[in-house]
Amino acid sequence: MRARTRTLTGVLAAAALAAAGCNPTPDDSGGDDQKTKTQSGSISYEAADNQGPAKPVDGASRGGTLTVMQPADFEHLDPARNYVNVQQVAGGMLYRPLNGYKEDGTGKLLLVGDLATNPGKDVDGDCKVWEFTLRDGVRYEDGTPVSSKDVAHGIARSFAANLNEGPHYIQQWLYPGGAYNATYKGPYDGGKPVPDGVTTPDDRTIRFTFPQPHCDMPYAAALPTSAPVPAAKDTRANYDLRPFSSGPYRVKSYQRDVSLELERNPNWDPATDPLRNAYPDTVRMTFGLEQAQIAERLVADGPADQAALSWSDVPPSVLPRTTGAGVADRVVRGPTQYNWVLSINTQRVTDLSVRRALNYAVDKDALLKVLGGQAAGTPATTLMSPTTAGFVPYDVFNAPVTGDKAKTAELLAGKRPKLVLAHSSLELRTQQAEALRKNLTDMGFDIVMKPIDNSSYYDEVGRKDNPYDLYLTGWGSDWPTGSTVIPPVYDGREIVAEGNQNLSYLNEASVGAEIDRVRALPAAEQDAGWMALDRMIMEKYAPVVPCYYDATYELHGSKVGNAFLSDAFGIISLNGIYVKK
Amino acid sequence: MLRFVVRRLLVAALTLVVISLVTFGLFFAVPSSPAKVMCGKNCTAEDIAQVERRLGIDQPLPRQYADFVGGVFAGRTYGEGDFRQDCPAPCLGYSFRNNQPVTEIVAQRAPVTFSIVLGGAVLWLGLGISLGMVSALRRGTAFDRAAIGVTLAGASMQVYFFGLILLYLLVYSTGLLPFPSYTPLTESPARWAAGLLLPWMTLGFLNSALYARLSRAQMLETLSEDFIRTARAKGLPARQVHTRHALRAAITPIVTIAGLDIGTSLGGTFITETIFGLQGLGKATVEAVQFLNLPVVMATVLLAAVFIVVANIVVDVLYAVIDPRVRLG
Amino acid sequence: MVELPTPRRGEDPYLRVTDLRVRFDTEDGVVKAVDGVSFAVERGRTLGIVGESGSGKSVTSLAILGLHNAKRTTISGEISVGGRQLVGLREEEIRRLRGRDMAMIFQDPLSALHPYYSVGRQIAEAYRVHHPRAGKREARSRAVDMLGRVGIPQPAKRFDQFPHEFSGGMRQRAMIAMALVNDPDLLIADEPTTALDVTVQAQILDLLADLQAEFRSAIILITHDLGVVSQVADDVLVMYAGRAVEHGSVERVLRAPQHPYTWGLLSSVPSLHGDADADLVPIPGNPPSLINLPSGCAFHPRCRWAGVNGDRSRTEIPELGPAGAPGHLVACHLPVAARERIYRDEVAQVGVAR
Repeated sequence: MRARTRTLTGVLAAAALAAAGCNPTPDDSGGDDQKTKTQSGSISYEAADNQGPAKPVDGASRGGTLTVMQPADFEHLDPARNYVNVQQVAGGMLYRPLNGYKEDGTGKLLLVGDLATNPGKDVDGDCKVWEFTLRDGVRYEDGTPVSSKDVAHGIARSFAANLNEGPHYIQQWLYPGGAYNATYKGPYDGGKPVPDGVTTPDDRTIRFTFPQPHCDMPYAAALPTSAPVPAAKDTRANYDLRPFSSGPYRVKSYQRDVSLELERNPNWDPATDPLRNAYPDTVRMTFGLEQAQIAERLVADGPADQAALSWSDVPPSVLPRTTGAGVADRVVRGPTQYNWVLSINTQRVTDLSVRRALNYAVDKDALLKVLGGQAAGTPATTLMSPTTAGFVPYDVFNAPVTGDKAKTAELLAGKRPKLVLAHSSLELRTQQAEALRKNLTDMGFDIVMKPIDNSSYYDEVGRKDNPYDLYLTGWGSDWPTGSTVIPPVYDGREIVAEGNQNLSYLNEASVGAEIDRVRALPAAEQDAGWMALDRMIMEKYAPVVPCYYDATYELHGSKVGNAFLSDAFGIISLNGIYVKK
Repeated sequence: MLRFVVRRLLVAALTLVVISLVTFGLFFAVPSSPAKVMCGKNCTAEDIAQVERRLGIDQPLPRQYADFVGGVFAGRTYGEGDFRQDCPAPCLGYSFRNNQPVTEIVAQRAPVTFSIVLGGAVLWLGLGISLGMVSALRRGTAFDRAAIGVTLAGASMQVYFFGLILLYLLVYSTGLLPFPSYTPLTESPARWAAGLLLPWMTLGFLNSALYARLSRAQMLETLSEDFIRTARAKGLPARQVHTRHALRAAITPIVTIAGLDIGTSLGGTFITETIFGLQGLGKATVEAVQFLNLPVVMATVLLAAVFIVVANIVVDVLYAVIDPRVRLG
Repeated sequence: MVELPTPRRGEDPYLRVTDLRVRFDTEDGVVKAVDGVSFAVERGRTLGIVGESGSGKSVTSLAILGLHNAKRTTISGEISVGGRQLVGLREEEIRRLRGRDMAMIFQDPLSALHPYYSVGRQIAEAYRVHHPRAGKREARSRAVDMLGRVGIPQPAKRFDQFPHEFSGGMRQRAMIAMALVNDPDLLIADEPTTALDVTVQAQILDLLADLQAEFRSAIILITHDLGVVSQVADDVLVMYAGRAVEHGSVERVLRAPQHPYTWGLLSSVPSLHGDADADLVPIPGNPPSLINLPSGCAFHPRCRWAGVNGDRSRTEIPELGPAGAPGHLVACHLPVAARERIYRDEVAQVGVAR
């Protein structure tokens, strides 16, 4: 799934960092990655990591109301439909998936058990059968204990056609081949109560049996679809507005497009929760303000907004006011899992030297400038984002960020390739494309620009026989391992007629073979394998020009304590946040 | 009078029927299917058909319209089986995005817009009319010239520009006022007023400019009327001449324009609501359009029409109350 | 309310205007609307002021009531009402006299009455402003009483009706009732019948005469209609370009007019008694601009006899002086003999009222 962060921009706002979260960030010296915390993430089965309660935060105080100001309401809070990062962090206050990410703001990211006692047992050591044991003492908001059957029901209902917006990894793994819900359509309308391969031997155990090995299961189990939904409380489509709480908070009131207010779930026991400190008494999410207004309010830090934060990036117009004293220390910034690349349609641009020439030619700095500053994000040289587990920076071409004319000319050897550059019609995307056209024309290419309406942009470039040569595309991983980047985007065997994710249409047997080999590695060794493959693809095929790693640039008020960027979600984490007295 | 009101209400009802038909036609003629929007990605044709059945938009247009009208008076039930949703009368539709009858959404949003408009109107009418009157009475003085200058500036300024200036001056840089927010009047009148002060000031200043110019012109015209000379010849003190005689006559056209202005604004003050982050009818309408949330679009457009039509009737009745020469019939 | 002394010495004229000058400052220059006019009216008598529009007759009456725009108007001379000097008096004090000691009736009663208030309420208001202790009920009964006295049938019912529900004549009666509600000693009627049908005109004039007999007020009747003057006035003041050109009793001025302008006015009025076939003779030309008055006699550009005396009419402003009979004054350079000859030979047979 591509659109993980979705920023719905209002009508008046400088529209358009839309579609797939491209976040501006101010000057970051290119290449210097001291800000980019290299993923040290891994799956932890250590008892100390998996045990509740969460480690107290130094200086934190309990109580108060935390406000989260958002430009637009969440599209979905129903765990089966929750596939956007802000929704997942908000949903994490209400319900607990089997697994979760334990973070402390230092860049250390651990996948541990959330509802489960640990990140899942690979029963036979072949990644096909996964067993999770639920913690004792986890209760819903009405005091009833959480049962593994509720987790199974949550998984089952995520197959329903009208609850189809969520991630479908586990669903697809249970029913491989064809659409995830081609066979099983959920428990409603007389469907089986649970899908094939899901069993609950007792109230605390749930077991998944996949036809094929899936060593990523612990990560997939951290997605919201594994949160428990008791069948008796399943209000189907209406569940979106009032999920039944198994987390530290419950819905006090929810007025669509206006506000969502969370209050404490009195039956939540901190001793059962290794992730959440749940310091504030109330969490209030308000919707409908423009991005710029939110940023201005947080910059101003008025009394009413001091205990507020936003997951919406500071827009370029407000950036200059965030560097002063009293504001700069309230900025939370860092890389996200998103990497933007200039995809080269390798079916049309078959000449490797042209693709390599493009890698020397592209002015990455110019692309970032459009997004508000010298470096709105960081120039990229790899396929995976620095937030990926096992990330090792490399640069095959070592070109300056503004491009290398001599090298480009050398590789083009007197040719002047004519290329069609497709771009989304969004204002900023158009500006980026224009900058790219100028840059590439100057570098010795003939560029024809083709605007595409934003809503059908990915549909258009996702058509195998699309008539375009170049297009800027963004990809964010669903969990911080290479397995959600390299296989979906660079495996030529996945290419279909429409709806492709492999947008360079790279179809190399050697890549496919390597993907299969890495997948078969023990989970612990996969990270290095994906990283090596990342480099190999760039060295041998150069199917894309990595452009920039997207960055987050968020603000919080002066009374918000322990606000740090979650590497798992790319936004401020709420788990250990507190309101200063 | 009663006959007049009844007749006007009948005409109004007819107007609303026409507007609802046009809205119906327009929004159901749009190329993008609301069902597809609601269904999201990974949606099969079968899924879309199901959503369409739930929304009731698989029916032919006349049938849909009949269902809609029926819902307004008798309530209706959407969907089928598991997706059954009841929408009691007066049912303006059911929003599957919000999982709420539209009437409820409107009931939540309308008070916000009402508060903005009514508070603003008090300010802009009070400020505008008094400024215009004083200007007219002190025609040619420094006060008059200053007032004309200020109102010219006000009349040529835009809500979003002035609103943002106020936000910067009073909220962002000085923190003199909190960022606007809506608290129901019934909950706390003080917080209600404090939270709406900025939009009131914005609307008050900008619209008062218009009303000041209008009332100044009206007042000057009235002051040159014979009956004002008569009033002075009677020996009435100047204040009584100005208020009881001049103002009363000068205010008539202002009432008309104010009535229509207020009526139009009640349908939604989108820009004001957006600038100050208030969730009123205007924002509801625009959001509904963005999400192709047709039932809400229908309801808000119709409601806006109702306000305008009602404002027209009120203005006519008021006119008759003010001016005995006007016969309603 | 300060009680102003109201001396009523029978012999003295109730209103005495002496050398009244009214000037307006306009962007184009100073308008000399009234330029040295003097006259007096005794109680129980009626002075008709005649002249074309712009002659200063209305300005004179507005100046007496203090209804001019104080900011743009300069007034000098004396206006004595019931012994009080009004020029230079504070607006508040003049206001207290307005409507109580002196009242005014306007030309068009439809526009002069407030369209939004009932006729009765407007009359009652006029009463209450000068009788602050009077209650609503008293004011109402007084207004109904007045409506009855000016000849409006069913006055109690008519009280609550609006001006637009009255006929033209009834409206003017109501105006008169409003003007007389406080028993004023001075009544100024500015073209009170111009907007009315001829038959109604006569009724209104009769009414004014009756009421005058009853209340013994001093009346100034402003009109351009010499016929009206002949009907009700005792004295006549003819004004031209802000100055008095002829002044005297009705008999003298209408029977033996001395000023060529008066002749012109008389010649342009159809006579009921004279030769029906005689042509009306309009005064040639237009009234002069009050900013740029012609030199000498302001009437000279329109006067057929301006050259009779050499250049005098063009250079020297004629003073108002005796015109033969006692109390009859005229401002003309023509010698008395010449005036009489010209009137007799060239003007009289054209036919004038009486």
